[in-house]
Amino acid sequence: MREVMDHTAGKVYLAYLAATIVGMVVAIVRGAMSVPEGGEPFLLFGWMTAPLVAGIIFVLLWLVGYLVYFFKFWPYR
Amino acid sequence: MVFDIAVLTIFGLIIIGMAAYGYKISAKTAEDYMLGGRTIGVVVMFFFVLFAISSSWTFYGFPGLLYLEGPGYVFFIWGSVAGFAGLYMFLGPRIWALTKMNRFLSPVEALGERYESKPLRLVLAISILAFIVPYVGIQPLGVGAGFQALTGLPALWGATYTAVLLIFLVLLGGMRIVAWVNIFLGVVYVTALMGSMVWIVNVALPGGLPGAAATIMETQPELLSAPGPKGTFTPVLMGGTFIVGLLAFSWPHVVIGAMTARDKNLFKWFPLLIFVFGGLFFYIIPFIWGSLVAPAIMPLEALTARAAELGTTVEIEADRVVQTIIVQELPGWFGVFVLMGVIAAAVSTAAVQLMTSSVIVARDVIQGVFKPDADDKEVTRWARWSVIVIVILSLSISVIDTGAMALYLTDVSIPGFAQWSPALVGGLLWKRGTRQGAIAATLVGVIYLVLGLLITPGGSRVLLFDLHPIVPTLLVNTVVYIVVSLLTPAPSEEIQTQFFDEVDEFLRSES
Repeated sequence: MREVMDHTAGKVYLAYLAATIVGMVVAIVRGAMSVPEGGEPFLLFGWMTAPLVAGIIFVLLWLVGYLVYFFKFWPYR
Repeated sequence: MVFDIAVLTIFGLIIIGMAAYGYKISAKTAEDYMLGGRTIGVVVMFFFVLFAISSSWTFYGFPGLLYLEGPGYVFFIWGSVAGFAGLYMFLGPRIWALTKMNRFLSPVEALGERYESKPLRLVLAISILAFIVPYVGIQPLGVGAGFQALTGLPALWGATYTAVLLIFLVLLGGMRIVAWVNIFLGVVYVTALMGSMVWIVNVALPGGLPGAAATIMETQPELLSAPGPKGTFTPVLMGGTFIVGLLAFSWPHVVIGAMTARDKNLFKWFPLLIFVFGGLFFYIIPFIWGSLVAPAIMPLEALTARAAELGTTVEIEADRVVQTIIVQELPGWFGVFVLMGVIAAAVSTAAVQLMTSSVIVARDVIQGVFKPDADDKEVTRWARWSVIVIVILSLSISVIDTGAMALYLTDVSIPGFAQWSPALVGGLLWKRGTRQGAIAATLVGVIYLVLGLLITPGGSRVLLFDLHPIVPTLLVNTVVYIVVSLLTPAPSEEIQTQFFDEVDEFLRSES
């Protein structure tokens, strides 16, 4: 991690990952996984529940960030 | 039953055969036995680590909890995926380079040298062993229950079968064969878990997964969102569960995996497999099983009736719901294949934990404290013999109090694993971290955790403020580490050069 902190791209990458974590926590705490009053559970494609969709988006965000940073900017690549 | 036993015998013989082959080709050195000669490539490493962390809990506990409480618990998985990837992206290269350059054989040894402290080495070794050893025993006992359900033989037979496999595998094979066998076990495991799900959906759910969701929407719609039927997974608990998952980077049996890497290139590719295969495929299988397939096929009323009929509890039957549905819906011969999957999951996890424990016992406790002049052969011998002792000890602890063991996993092991993380992260990344800070922080964290779990007036964990045990203990641990480190003299220039500057240089130059 010291090598990541040593250059701008690394700092941006860490900030991006931290933002996704904060975003996930904020989404959870603000009730994005719950059903609104009188509403029905969120189901993508008829079966994917909100916690599953949220997690897949989270993993995809990490995957994209990782691909860009580790294959273009990582000092030890 | 004869067919089942014959299949399980062949399965066991394959594992023992692989272990014996590993013994034959090994270099008979401590480095080869404990770290596979540091020759593990990215694909083997991935399956090695993935199935080291995916125990029989992925087959029983995880789907069972989703079945009863709704999908909120899945945030532990999302946090864990990020935590494991983070370990290999940020800490892994340094752990690998540092231990390779200095020929360290355990992460505890590396930290003992980094902080120039034998007492710290002993404190870390004992605390890690205390939290990991009982965990090893839970896996054979879990298999025992499945073995009894399938064959009708006593659970002890299944537990003994698994324990014997574990002893042969780790004692003979060492880390390299444990890693290789994990690929074989992982294939069996994934095929059983995924194959059974695809088959069941085809046989019992003509509407597929959307049909399953529609059924649940009619019978128990609260299962399709947080906080779940009992209101357990509130936003705060889900957020906390996610954070607990992120701390997966500190699991000692995963950290030691980074030391076995062949080269630094592994750390570039490894996260790709974790995200794609682990996060977007593997962990979604038990999620679908527990949150959609099982409740659609066997609603809670049916499971409650079954529990009453068998004289057990709904919680116990929920843990077995995947196996129950497979036995009910699929041909009888498939049951033994599923049990093989459960055994594979149990052995793949317990073997790595056992290997890690034996390395720490031999290298950090026996050679590090009691027999500093022990040679390579002696250390390897101690590591091998300690395997038997650890298996017997862990099984005994599990058998004595099985009720407490379930609690041990969720509330003790994971918070316990986290207590060395400030010393680990600080030791690798922060030059100013001192031995006094590491010792004080680890002791305070562990003692606070133990007292917090033991002192419970009226059933309330007052010392932990009724939070998840990891939250207050790790916070205090981290604060103590930083404050005491800043108040005590910085590590010597020599240590800073050896553990930081030389490692940076090595990683930049290594091709």
